[in-house]
Parts: sequence; structure tokens; C-alpha cells
Amino acid sequence: MKKNNIEGWLFVSPLVIWICLIILVPIYIAFELSLFNVKIIGTSGKFVGIDNYIKLISKSKFLNASLNSLYWIIGNAICQTFFAFTIALTINYKFPGKKIIANWIILSFIIPTVVVVVIWKLMLSSSSGVINSVLIDIGLLDEATGFFSSPNKAFISLVLINSWRWSPFLALIILSGLNSINREMYDASKVDGANFIQQFFFITFPNLKSVLFVLGLVGTLLSFNIFDIIWLITKGGPSSATTTLPLLIYETAFTKFRISHAATLSIITSFMLLFFSIIFIKSMAPKEDD
Amino acid sequence: MIKENNIKFIFLGLSLLLIILIFFFPFFWIITSSLKSPEEIIATSTTIIPRSFTLEHYNKILFNSDFFIYLKNSLIVSFASMIISIILSVSAAYGLHKLKFYGNKFVEYSLLVTYAFPGVILLVPIYLLFAKVNLLNSYLALIIVNVLFATPFAVWMLKAFFKLIPNEIEEAAYIDGASRYVVISRIVIPLAAPGIASVSIFCFIISWTEYLFASILISGDNLKTLPVGLAGIVGQYQIDWGFLLSGAVLASLPVIILFLFIGKYFVSGLTEGAIK
Repeated sequence: MKKNNIEGWLFVSPLVIWICLIILVPIYIAFELSLFNVKIIGTSGKFVGIDNYIKLISKSKFLNASLNSLYWIIGNAICQTFFAFTIALTINYKFPGKKIIANWIILSFIIPTVVVVVIWKLMLSSSSGVINSVLIDIGLLDEATGFFSSPNKAFISLVLINSWRWSPFLALIILSGLNSINREMYDASKVDGANFIQQFFFITFPNLKSVLFVLGLVGTLLSFNIFDIIWLITKGGPSSATTTLPLLIYETAFTKFRISHAATLSIITSFMLLFFSIIFIKSMAPKEDD
Repeated sequence: MIKENNIKFIFLGLSLLLIILIFFFPFFWIITSSLKSPEEIIATSTTIIPRSFTLEHYNKILFNSDFFIYLKNSLIVSFASMIISIILSVSAAYGLHKLKFYGNKFVEYSLLVTYAFPGVILLVPIYLLFAKVNLLNSYLALIIVNVLFATPFAVWMLKAFFKLIPNEIEEAAYIDGASRYVVISRIVIPLAAPGIASVSIFCFIISWTEYLFASILISGDNLKTLPVGLAGIVGQYQIDWGFLLSGAVLASLPVIILFLFIGKYFVSGLTEGAIK
């Protein structure tokens, strides 16, 4: 195809300039800050070089938050894959009321995260939550439990709540992949005697490659970035069990007022994510057919 | 054959039940709870069918709180962010899809990464930057950030919609002597209208639900958005549940109403056109 270098860039440049300004300038500011020792916003600090990096990387808080972030990404990936595929494969069938369910399943994604927090705080409340009373009624629990009171329970509850918010959206994207699969392949495989589980693993899954690539990349980065659900429910507790890197950065900047440390953490995190993205794109990007 | 169909049927029924319970029941629950008396909301014995009915919480939030100020702020910020995002991303998506240029793959992948990249990493530096240029406590601060969050995925979705427009239609118009501007405004945009509608909702939702930056960049009460206002109630030691729940329902209402009208474009856009 003929190249339209100038015109092409003309169309793209307004957005590219906007994004670069709002990402690169702040990253430069953060990098500069990370070399100084600034505490409260607006004050100036001493030049300390790479001291902040050395100090922070060796801190147990940083290690703890990095591990929490890793568990957070893995936990969300597992839960969301399960929920999203269940939804997508279900909606892909014809049944009465399919249209309503398909259109409104995304409700949990379009409401503000704060509302998600309100919903689950009420439903999971230890004193009057409906989940507790249902679990007691069917005999799974002896007495009401605090879903956010112990480190493990809090972490798992948050992963489930976050998956609840994102899975329907991911399901619709998976559905777009399912729709692009040629139906004749299923008919042909049926003639060959394949059952629907074999069809899933040998036709559906391999044909979703490019969709799964986008989901794998974007989904990982998006779950990494989750802040508000965790912050508004547990504030990172109990005993830092749900403090992921975004929460650590926020805490460092806005409750401990160590601006330079927060900037340093931001830079380290940016590099970690950039590194992940490059590796992921290099190794997983589907080959272009057109 | 019959046996396999039976298994399929059971699978389908079970997963449908699960989906309705997990993804729809919570909405039924907060809506009915917001209409219960304060005593029933916090009662230890829960009943699925409400026993009491009251509009007192809605009365309180509508006529005795800053709800309308927050609503106005959220509407201004979300609409402005949506319009700017759409203009920028339609242009970029067209450039990326129709005009192959040097570096287009790089721009494409970078956009995908930036979609997920920003968030909390940029929080501290953006706060400092905006403080320097006197943008803190303004609608513009939130609009700038929301556009950044919304556009990368918007471009990705729009590109898929542009792909569905047959090249021949555009080429025919060029042969008839139409300029690029005419082709875009008379052919590409009208043909991609359902796609643009669904991308608009996406941009609106992103801005409507944004909490983190709104909570940091805005400190004046008269400029706060709905999520920030609601979060203020969540953080209180003694939560007034009725007040909070009716606020949550009302804060979701605008996006739900919007979705009622153009939601089907959003869903069909996502499921039929996007990402291939």
C-alpha cells in the first residue's frame, strides 16, 4: 500500500501530542524528583542521586507491595478468565432473554467504582450482610464472618470484587472473538465426532489468539493499576496485606508526604510495566495477515 | 447425541443461574435496600423481599445534600471529556487505519500500552505539574486526565469500526472528485456512526467513574464529582447506609439512562466489530 507519511501523522498527531505531554512531562518531573530528597509538596530538597532507588528497593515494604501486586495480577487473571469465559460462552448460545442479559451484563462495568464498593461493602458486611446470612442459612458458616478482617480473606474478597467489575467487559471482547470464528469449523468438527469440550480447546481457544493477546496485555496492566476498589474498602490493610504498588505510591505521597520517595516508586514501577509490555508484545503479538 | 445436548442444557442453565445471581442480584439488592427503613438495612436477619418502604433517603439526598452540585460537576467534566476524546480519537483512528504511514504500528502498540499505563504512576507528577501551571481545582484538570485515559482504547475500537467500511465506497467518492474532508464527514463518519456512538459511551463511562485523580486534583467542595462525594460518605466512621445507598443508585442513574438509549450499539459494537 502507498505510504501517506505526512497526512497520516497529521491525523494522528493531535492525540499523540496530547498523550505525550500528559505522560512524558510528568514522567520527567517524577524522574527529576526521584534524584532529590523532597518531602512535602512545594518544598525543595537536597540532591541525593540514586540514593532513593537504593534505599527503596531494599525496603521490605516495597518487596511486600511488589509481591502483593504480583498475587493481585495472577488472582485477577484466573478469576476474570473464568468469569469472562463463562459469560461469553453462555451468551453465545441462543436462549429466551438472551438480548437483555447480553446488553445489561455490563452494568457492573458502567457504574462508578465507588458504587461497586458500596454494593459489596453492604453485601459483605459482617453484621448485616446478605452474603453472611445466606451462607449461615445454607450451613456453610456457623457464624457471621468479617470478609475484610483477616489478610487472606480481605485479599481474596477484593480480587473477587474487582473481577466482578471487569469480567463482563472482558466477556464482550471475548465474544467479539467468538463471533469472528467461522461457524463451518464447528459443523465440520461435529461431523468428525468432536464434542463441545473438544471444540472449545481445539477450535474456540486457538482462534481467539489475537483477542487474548490484547486482553493479556491490557488486562494485566489494568489490573495492576487498580487503586480505588482496594483503597476505599481496606485502605491496604489489614497489616498491609492488600497494599499493592499503586497503594504504596499513594500512601507514600499523600499520607506520609514523602514526595521524592513516591516519585522514585513511580519510576521503578513504570520500568517494570514497560519491561513487561515489551516482552509481552515481542513474544506474543499475533502475526499480521493484512 | 441426546446425551450431549442434555449436558449442554444443564451447563447452560447452571451458568445462566450463576450469572444472574452474581451479576444482577446485587443491583436488585442495593435498589431495594435503598428503599428500606434504616433499621431494616442494618438488621441482622436479612429478608430477600423488603418489609418496609420509604423514600426518606432519596428525600434527604436530593433536598438536603450537595448532590446536585456534584451531579453538575460530573456532567460537565464527563461531557467535555467525551467530546474532546471523540474528536481526537476519530482523527487518530482514521489516520492509523486508512493512511499507512511510517511508524503506524509503533503508534498503535504504544496506544494500547498507554491505555493501561497511566493511573497511579502518573498521580504524583501530574499533581505537581498541574500545581505548577495553576490547573489544580479546575474542570480542565480532570478533563485533560480523562481524555488521556479514554482515548487509547477509543482509537482501538474506532479502528475496528473503520475497517468495516468498504474501501470501494471511499475510492468511488475520490474518483468523483471528493476531497478528503468531504469523504470523512459525508461517508466515513455517517457509516461509522454506531461505532462512534458506542465509543462515546465508553469515553463517558471512563470519565463518569473516575475517582483517583478527581479526589486528588480537586479539593474545593463546589467542584467535587459524584464519585468523590460518595466516597466521602463511605469513609465516615458511622455509615448512614440509607443515605449512601440512595446516593449510589442516583450516581449510577445517568450512565444507566444513557446506556438505555445507546447501550445496544455499545454492546453490539464491542461484540461484532471491535478487535480483530
